[in-house]
Amino acid sequence: MYKKQELKNTQRSKLLNSFLTTFQKRVLANPPGVCCISTHIAYLRTARSQTCGKCVPCAKGLEQLEKMMQKILDGSADMDLYVDMLWLAQTIKDTADCAIGYEAAYMVLANIKNFRDEYLYHIEHHKCQANVSVKVPCMYNCPANVNIPGYIALIGAERYADAINLIREDNPFPTACAFVCERPCELQCRRKLIDSAINIRGLKKFAVDQIPVDVVSTPPRNVPTGKKIAVVGGGPSGLTCAYFLARMGHSVVIYEAKEKLGGMLRYGIPNYRLPKDRLDQDIRALLAVGGIEVRCNSPIGTEITAEQLEKEYDAVYLSIGAQKGRVIPIKNYDNPNVASAVEMLDRIGHGDLPDFTGKNVVVIGGGNVAMDCARSAIRCGAASVTLAVRERQVDMTALPSEIQGAIEEGVELMTMYAPSEIRIDENGDVVGLITKPQITGHYDEHTGLPSVRDADKEPYEIPCDIIFMAIGQAIVSEPFAAYGVSPRGTLMTDSTTAIKDHPGVFAGGDCVSGPATAIMAIGAGKVAAANIDEYLGFHHAYRLNIEIPEVKSNMRSHYGRVNLTEKSARERKKSFCPVENSMSHEEAMQECSKCLRCDVFGSGTMKGGLL
Amino acid sequence: MAEKVKITINGHEYEAEKDQTILEVARANGIYIPTLCYLKNVNEIGACRMCVVEIEGHSHLFPSCNTKVWEGMAVRTDSEKVKLSRQFVLQLMLAHHTVRCLSCSKSGDCDLQKLAVELELPTVEANPYEADTAKLPARTDNPFLAYYPELCIGCQRCVSVCSRRVGNGVLNASKIGTRTYIEAPFGPDWKNTDCELCGNCASVCPTGALVAKNMGKYQTGNVNRVLTTCPHCATGCQFYLMVKDNTIVDVHPADGPSNKGLLCVKGRFGSFNFVHSPDRLRHPLIKNRETGKFEQATWDEALNLIAEKFGKIKSEYGADALAGFACSRAPNEDCYMLQKMVRCAFGTNNVDNCARVCHSATVAGLAMTLGSGAMTNPIADITEDVDLILLVGSNPEEAHPVIGMQIRQAVSKGTHLIVVDPRKIRLSREADIHIRLKPGTNVAFANGMINIIISEGLADEKFISERTEGFEALKEMVKDYTPEKVAEICHIDADQLREAARMYATAKKAPIIYCLGVTEHSSGTEGVMSLSNLAMVVGKLGRSGCGVNPLRGQNNVQGACDMGALPGDFPGYQKVTNESVVEKFEKAWNVKLSRKPGLHATDVFPAAVRKEVRGLFIFGEDPVVSDPDQGHVIKALESLDFLVVCDLFKTRTAEYADVILPGTSYAEKEGTFSNTERRVQRVRKAVTVEGEMRLDTDIFTDLMNRMGYPQPYLRADEIMDEIASLTPSFGGISHKRLDAGESLQWPCPDKNHPGTPILHVGKFTRGLGLLRPIPYRASQELPDDEYPFILMTGRILYHYNAMAMTGRTKGLVEKAGASFIEVNTEDAARLGIAEGDRVKLSSRRGSIVTTARVGDRVSVGETWMPFHFADGFANVLTNAALDEYARIPEYKVCAIKMEKAAE
Repeated sequence: MYKKQELKNTQRSKLLNSFLTTFQKRVLANPPGVCCISTHIAYLRTARSQTCGKCVPCAKGLEQLEKMMQKILDGSADMDLYVDMLWLAQTIKDTADCAIGYEAAYMVLANIKNFRDEYLYHIEHHKCQANVSVKVPCMYNCPANVNIPGYIALIGAERYADAINLIREDNPFPTACAFVCERPCELQCRRKLIDSAINIRGLKKFAVDQIPVDVVSTPPRNVPTGKKIAVVGGGPSGLTCAYFLARMGHSVVIYEAKEKLGGMLRYGIPNYRLPKDRLDQDIRALLAVGGIEVRCNSPIGTEITAEQLEKEYDAVYLSIGAQKGRVIPIKNYDNPNVASAVEMLDRIGHGDLPDFTGKNVVVIGGGNVAMDCARSAIRCGAASVTLAVRERQVDMTALPSEIQGAIEEGVELMTMYAPSEIRIDENGDVVGLITKPQITGHYDEHTGLPSVRDADKEPYEIPCDIIFMAIGQAIVSEPFAAYGVSPRGTLMTDSTTAIKDHPGVFAGGDCVSGPATAIMAIGAGKVAAANIDEYLGFHHAYRLNIEIPEVKSNMRSHYGRVNLTEKSARERKKSFCPVENSMSHEEAMQECSKCLRCDVFGSGTMKGGLL
Repeated sequence: MAEKVKITINGHEYEAEKDQTILEVARANGIYIPTLCYLKNVNEIGACRMCVVEIEGHSHLFPSCNTKVWEGMAVRTDSEKVKLSRQFVLQLMLAHHTVRCLSCSKSGDCDLQKLAVELELPTVEANPYEADTAKLPARTDNPFLAYYPELCIGCQRCVSVCSRRVGNGVLNASKIGTRTYIEAPFGPDWKNTDCELCGNCASVCPTGALVAKNMGKYQTGNVNRVLTTCPHCATGCQFYLMVKDNTIVDVHPADGPSNKGLLCVKGRFGSFNFVHSPDRLRHPLIKNRETGKFEQATWDEALNLIAEKFGKIKSEYGADALAGFACSRAPNEDCYMLQKMVRCAFGTNNVDNCARVCHSATVAGLAMTLGSGAMTNPIADITEDVDLILLVGSNPEEAHPVIGMQIRQAVSKGTHLIVVDPRKIRLSREADIHIRLKPGTNVAFANGMINIIISEGLADEKFISERTEGFEALKEMVKDYTPEKVAEICHIDADQLREAARMYATAKKAPIIYCLGVTEHSSGTEGVMSLSNLAMVVGKLGRSGCGVNPLRGQNNVQGACDMGALPGDFPGYQKVTNESVVEKFEKAWNVKLSRKPGLHATDVFPAAVRKEVRGLFIFGEDPVVSDPDQGHVIKALESLDFLVVCDLFKTRTAEYADVILPGTSYAEKEGTFSNTERRVQRVRKAVTVEGEMRLDTDIFTDLMNRMGYPQPYLRADEIMDEIASLTPSFGGISHKRLDAGESLQWPCPDKNHPGTPILHVGKFTRGLGLLRPIPYRASQELPDDEYPFILMTGRILYHYNAMAMTGRTKGLVEKAGASFIEVNTEDAARLGIAEGDRVKLSSRRGSIVTTARVGDRVSVGETWMPFHFADGFANVLTNAALDEYARIPEYKVCAIKMEKAAE
């Protein structure tokens, strides 16, 4: 039995780990539109490959499960086999020894439950459902379906104006998105199979930095159709909808409650992330299409009601956003030095910069708004800014880059502390936030994140003068209550953005989805515009004919991704100036050359293979 | 006491111990749960999931074999869900198992088959699962074992047995993709693997995947299983002889107290071919003095001739001109009758057995110091739950393989090991310390240990003062044996010796286990006594996990000594010099007995040369091969007036006989063997072999009667009753008790006595333990300019002594069939000898040619040879220098020279 001890073969494990990273990337780059059963069987096969071979249910049972699933995938299974397969998976789950076996079987059961229609379709029709076919990942994942390979190619050809116009075919906010888009397009970028996703937002930023979008002439408007549409809310969703409707030749009136257009892009996102002058470029450009009347300071319910809108206009698009900051009604929450983050950012958006010099600020919450609030507080001269977060850092909903940026700028992150009480002194001034330490627990079925609960620990007080709560936003939906409001307070539409039982009334953006991203709001506005056009009895086509450069071959050698750098934290925190640097020409050209042009290669050239 | 918990199984409440598994509780209460991969304490890996049960409050099932019970647990073993799960795993296994029962040697004894019936599985065709048949090749080159991957269910019983019980670990599970199979070393390269061919893997395989090839000769249902005791070493392994049509076709291990279900290659595969060997002696043979050829004779002719010749010698030269050697391989009853024949019919105490050349030093030495010359503690007691083993001059992995396996298990579980041996034996690789002392310096080593123990205050003074005598003299004597001086004598490191002494002295439970490396010296008895000194100084005697434990050599060498086949002892070590003892035996045997201690076997040969001994009866021994200085032995045999050999085969010794008598083997008779731990175990008749062979006890009875001593024929059980009536330590032992399932270790003075596992508890047999100062003396023949190498001799795993038994199993000869000598690399380089070269070896007594094995198993200036092989008998070279007390020869040290042999 005696064997000389040996060092582990580190080179080998390095190579294997490197392969697993590649494997992981392949999984992450799973193209949209793949048959989900083929993905499930790939998972099962991976699970089976991990068996140690000891226990019968895992070592031999998963093999049988895979065979059965293969039959379903191949369309050669019947309902008996389906039932057998369920039983087999259940039995493996019940009898396997370790997670390699039972988790594999559990996932099979969960997948069958979640994708039951697909499984049954395979059995009944011996084929995949009609919508199953591989798409171009960036375009498909972009809520506005922007022709991303196209504009990357145009940037690569230094045709920046064409690139901007190609973007504007689907998204009238090239500049805003160049600064703040959460880039769903990069999620499954096929380039991940080789190295990593193309820096698509960075390229877009490069393009709008070359020519301001309001200098590039806006595509021409169609001849007037005579139809008149009201858009309620001049945020990204409303403006997008208005822009496309106007382009089609319809007349649009925008009702905006605040004094300026832009919605959360203006009043929610601080200047250091999206400078107002750059936002104005987008708005100027899109209004330049013509046929859009803007009525600011016009909240619905004062001068005009929703009912009147419905009567006076041929169609109505509601895009009122989620404007109201939520607060937690803990003790003393109504103190003047306690406010929602939304209120604070709104004030700054109006150009009213508070002076927090010498003040200790606590921000409650772990989302992007909390980061915006905390980083703004730093810029307003706060002596200290502390983030009190109930969950673990990994479970925070804010983007990791935002969390990192906040920490760099001096924000103190205190995770696993839930607010329980605000302590005030005899003068009524806030002196501290009393928190309850938390413990992480079982996973929540809905969020997919571990839940937290009060830990068996002493409360902890964070001394402070000012408290902002960034725990979510609510929709001011009272004026539109007649259209029906969900328990979450959102307006309810079908997938075409139409509101049920109210022909001609459409809604989209944060007021339907709940607080979300700019690009989702833009996507909803675009969909709504097309459906309003259809509703009005038209089917307008409005595309420019921008010629996209041809490609000869892919650049396949492995290259690092060009990431955008930021200004130093020391410099950043002094002002609300933009923090992010732009790409150089050299960087942009390298990044462009890496695009695999999925619009030309692979499924892109097939019918239905783009979107 | 373990904490008790209450659980319910199928609605009934049971009390269980907290660390029990569900399966254990169920079995203890007669509730059946099927298992497949489970082997208690060996394979509890929960692989097959056959034993799953439902536990209330849990949606998934639990394997009962490795789930411990908890308070309030409610188990269901019989639900529909459980039954379906069991069917499911069986069907999955069958999908990978080629169902070819018609041609499978395990058919009828296969767990899969049994469970398929039990679980009411539909036909093979109805199995919903199928698998692509793996194209793995069968491995069948090994002479004894074969592996058929298409039958393997991957349960890993074999792997676990090999690594956790055998401790060899050559079997490994391997994977092809997600399929598990066994990397069985039975392919074309089998000879060059570390596989020891023990076959314990095959004994536990639930299917026909890993099988002993012998199993192909029969079906389990059609054979008789005869429980008996292994005829090789003194471990006393219990096994079944599988008998088909009066022929032994296989051996299956039994769960005996010393082997616990394990066997070694000799027991498993080398225990029965010789019984049916075509060259068995089948008729008495008388040598034609004129032609020198043996001629077939009738029993009457042969026995009459012996009676006449021995009678003549006795009347002309006196009874002491006759001598008889008993057989250490033969049962107690045979040995008893032989010594009775020599004492009553020959009229002399010239009776001995081959313990003389292995452990006579133990018998003499421990009798002097402790009062009983036997292993003090049982095997299990010194290999389970001990802190340290001090292994001196013993290579149990080869000479006592099943004990070796148990030591390996102990070491792998954390028992410390100190190996004291000149050679790098395999166990030394796993030892904390290997004291690689110079051959023949055991006494100095032990004295050095005692010196350190006393000077560092590690002695057990209470034990010494209460239970021993002679300490002051010992203390005075060991003063000279400083670690530095001992290091110089033994060629070892003084610090290593200090560490060993400290480890041994401070360990709570630490047995000394020793073997022939201690005894087979001209100072053998002194070496034994030195070890007993060592154990007594630290109080490690008379309690569990300690003691002085000689591993006796042959299957019944303990018994042959116990039965009085010794020149100075009647059965049970009752001395021939004790008048009242002699009177007791005279009364019982109704004959006048000699009061003069007889000659030791090793003294008989010189006496024969001097014509003092003229007639010799050798029962089952082959001294020409096994005794030192072969030339001298042959000269002695040729000097005899009349030599009778009673044996199974015409051995080298038999060539010199005047009459050869065909005896019977252990498989053809009833009786008992006493193993190394004094355990008396049954030997049972399994077959009758064709021929005129007779029971040896009947042969002796006939001869006694013909020589004028009236002795009625007795059955073996009747002989044991006579032994019990005359031998206090055997007073309670009878075949009846053993057949009823009792396992008895002597002393067992009366019918109700449970036997004595550990000797000297509370009091030494001798009264006070004797600490006897033993100064170191050098071996008698040391290397010099002419004969510069020390030669040690020993055994290898695959053969036993003169190979009368193992040499008749083809596979064993195939694995190891030729003589060799181990030479150190440096010496070999100096002499220009390479691995595999033929070398000529010479001592002052003779020369042989053998093959060199070059390496570092022996130190520079030392060599080692097995003594089994006829193509180069080591005993041509060895020195018959005898120990003063026990007359044991110095097999372990003689001086030789070595040169490259001419082609």
